Amino acid sequence: MSDDPLLSPRAKAGRAPDVFAPGGWIPMHAYREDEAVDFVIVGTGAGGGTLACKLAEAGFSVVAMDAGPYFRPLEDFASDESEQTKLYWTDDRIVDGENPLQMGSNNSGKAVGGSTVHFAMVSLRFRPEWFRSRTLLGYGADWPLDWREMWRYYAKVEQALKIAGPVTYPWGPPRPRYPYRAHEMNAAALALARGCEAMGIGWTETPLATLSAPRGRAHPCVYRGFCTTGCSTNAKQSALVTWIPRAIAAGAEIRDLAMVGRVEVNDAGRATGVHYHREGGWRFQKARNVVVAGYAIETPRLLLNSATSRFPDGLANSSGLVGKNLMAQSNQAVWGISKDEIRSYKGPPSLAITEHWNYDDNKDFFGGYSYMSQGPLPQLWANTQMSARGLWGDSLMAEMERYNHVVGLKIVGEMLPQESNRVTLADAKDQYGLPIARITYSWSENDRALIDHSLRFMARALEAIDAREIWTQDDDTCHLNGTARMGGDPRTSVVDADCRSWDIRNLWICDGSVFPTVGGVNPSLTIQAIACRTGDRIKALAALGDL
Amino acid sequence: MRTAIDKTMQNQLVAIAAQLDVLEKGLSQHFPRREPTVRAARRLNGASGILSMSVLADSGIEHYRGSFENKAMFTPLVMSALSLAVSAHGTADSRPDAHRIRDAVYAAAALTGVVGTGFHVYNVLKRPGRLSWQNLFYGAPLGAPMAILLSGLLGVYSERLRDDRGASPTVFGLPAGRTLAALTGAGLLGTAGEAGLLHFRGAYHNPFMYAPVTIPPVAAGLLGAAAAGFSGRTRWLTRWWLRLTALLGFAGAGFHAYGVSRNMGGWRNWRQTVLNGPPLPAPPSFTGLALAGLAALGLLEDHTDA
Ligand SMILES: Cc1cc2nc3c(=O)[nH]c(=O)nc-3n(C[C@H](O)[C@H](O)[C@H](O)COP(=O)(O)OP(=O)(O)OC[C@H]3O[C@@H](n4cnc5c(N)ncnc54)[C@H](O)[C@@H]3O)c2cc1C
Ligand code: SF4
Repeated sequence: MSDDPLLSPRAKAGRAPDVFAPGGWIPMHAYREDEAVDFVIVGTGAGGGTLACKLAEAGFSVVAMDAGPYFRPLEDFASDESEQTKLYWTDDRIVDGENPLQMGSNNSGKAVGGSTVHFAMVSLRFRPEWFRSRTLLGYGADWPLDWREMWRYYAKVEQALKIAGPVTYPWGPPRPRYPYRAHEMNAAALALARGCEAMGIGWTETPLATLSAPRGRAHPCVYRGFCTTGCSTNAKQSALVTWIPRAIAAGAEIRDLAMVGRVEVNDAGRATGVHYHREGGWRFQKARNVVVAGYAIETPRLLLNSATSRFPDGLANSSGLVGKNLMAQSNQAVWGISKDEIRSYKGPPSLAITEHWNYDDNKDFFGGYSYMSQGPLPQLWANTQMSARGLWGDSLMAEMERYNHVVGLKIVGEMLPQESNRVTLADAKDQYGLPIARITYSWSENDRALIDHSLRFMARALEAIDAREIWTQDDDTCHLNGTARMGGDPRTSVVDADCRSWDIRNLWICDGSVFPTVGGVNPSLTIQAIACRTGDRIKALAALGDL
Repeated sequence: MRTAIDKTMQNQLVAIAAQLDVLEKGLSQHFPRREPTVRAARRLNGASGILSMSVLADSGIEHYRGSFENKAMFTPLVMSALSLAVSAHGTADSRPDAHRIRDAVYAAAALTGVVGTGFHVYNVLKRPGRLSWQNLFYGAPLGAPMAILLSGLLGVYSERLRDDRGASPTVFGLPAGRTLAALTGAGLLGTAGEAGLLHFRGAYHNPFMYAPVTIPPVAAGLLGAAAAGFSGRTRWLTRWWLRLTALLGFAGAGFHAYGVSRNMGGWRNWRQTVLNGPPLPAPPSFTGLALAGLAALGLLEDHTDA
């Protein structure tokens, strides 16, 4: 049998890979397909992986499936950008709209652990007001969650991932001290700090989900900077090395290379299990509850693909909102050349941050943005030069000679929800014979205003530290959210505050899709906080006999 | 596995303790009975030597890590090596008089500590964030040059002791035993402060990381009491506590070796992990200071009014 994790599943026959030991295994429970488990979870990323752990630890029987492979970071991850594209979801998708999204490396993963296997580890809390942005700030939609409750769950996730952050965080209400201390800032981060000081705004070390000290069998970060192509030391606290091993230890079963094609719903309107493709054939797993956690594109696609005569518009879609209100985050950058060597690729890519414009409301647009220091790997950098500036041949070679002197700042900006930005089904089919997603995306006037503001500001920040030849990269997005928003009203939302779908009470959605708004910070900490809360809520509902 | 490591470590500690005892007894037997002051002076040479050794190795590794970006970064290496050499000489030298070269080297070492502190403060203050945790953690360590300052001071002190001809030794007009107790107490506190800062940076991820921020400060307190003249009855406690602190210095190096092994690649990858892991030579400065403290106690015992 091949040991290529992309070809044959590793988590089976009562064992799963031990991510901390080369060639090692850990025992894993194996559930029967014909006996209903309490929960089957589709997707094992920030949402699904976390929830699998919480539910298993609460004593439920859990099977969590992922379409992607079960990697062994110590062995499978090469310091090679091309090789590591194996981490991304690169199945066919159709993109259109005025600003078609570029799909793949910058926004979706396909692996046990989901996109957290190759995410950049930035772990930020929402600004409290964003949970009620409609009421308090006049845009978007209110969340059905109270920020104080979220504050408690953020703290739990920060503990669980041993987030390394500053001793005191300059913005927002007080938070407990980060469990691990911030990492040393590289030259790119120091450049951000100098720029902020010159512009008179605050900055701090970015709270990161990578270890600044040993933890169990995981090593501390070695600052080689291959984070977004998969961390080969296990310093990165991805779901793969945190929630998943915990989930398995608590009795959950993970099934890798298991693509769910359809959620089955019976005549009574209850979910009964999932049809999934593994080892060359379609199979069925019975379950008392189904959780969809496939991220903002695959989640609505699966719900739409599971339509029945009773639910002709797809599952959980009586509001008509499944697939709508897709929100990317703006990810524009300003780049320049520094006199001194920067070698920005050394260390995690975003070691310093300013959230100034998330907390300052003196702006002529809605929403906010943070910006961070950057450390693009060489191939990505060459690609950026080619796609954003059209450099090729000699001019590209000449530009790459200056790679060590490049300094840049990049935003994570809030884009507003619009129903016209959406995921629908295309006629084309994928390798499993399932209709693929069509992703339609256009920026709003507000989105443009925010981007313009950020580019102007960051350009001044770079000028202030004497960077030369400043240019802007004005067409980039990251992080996908929305498409199954949570809310307090079944007519205007897909799930309630507990991530439980209004229409099918044993169907849950627990990933980035449930965000009503995205804010100006990276989403994964919030996704994990919501998953932890959902786990607690399910436990409480079960105790009340209300599942 | 874990307990096996703990066991060997325990055994090693016991063995080291026994050796320390032998060393102490051996040294005192070789010292001429007639000159307890010289005995104390030689002990101080020894203490200063251990500190210099710690500085030599630590600044060697750390400044190598900093690529000797500034030529001045060689200075602590040269000075601590010289200080180590003259300390060896002093430890073996039972003549009652101060030695001009030793004296000069010690003074220069102390000066290096002062200038080094200046450099390190400058390095921290020019970074964005100034006196922020980031810079205290990762800028030039403010407390590190203090170790060479202390080693120089102990040396100078030892030479002054040899010069002293009075019935109760004084140094710079102050009672030698008490002043030395106060000086080493302060040194222990400062060193514990630095360990505290760096262990805070490591988030106290291992409970043993609390040892250097608890044991040495107690020793410092006991020495303080001795300096103030309160410790007649608790002197045995002070002595044993100082011995414990001396042991801690050795044990700390062992823990740091374990810490190095927890980095990616472990000891097989020592070229990187020794640089990135906890500093191996740092903890023995506690041993050096504790031995100086024991010398101070010796002085106080031999001359009750010292
Ligand atoms: C390059 C990059 C950098 C990032 N950096 C950061 C960062 O620094 N900070 C931050 O907060 N966020 C970051 N993100 C975003 C973050 O990773 C995601 O927001 C988060 O992981 C989304 O969580 P999720 O649970 O919704 O989906 P994912 O984590 O993507 O998990 C979804 C999983 O579901 C599986 N799946 C989907 N459909 C099916 C199906 N039908 N059957 C079986 N399995 C299925 C997929 O294979 C995938 O593994 C980054 C993302 C990328 C791509
Ligand atoms: S820089 Fe740190 S977090 Fe990033 S890949 Fe290397 S070890 Fe992992």
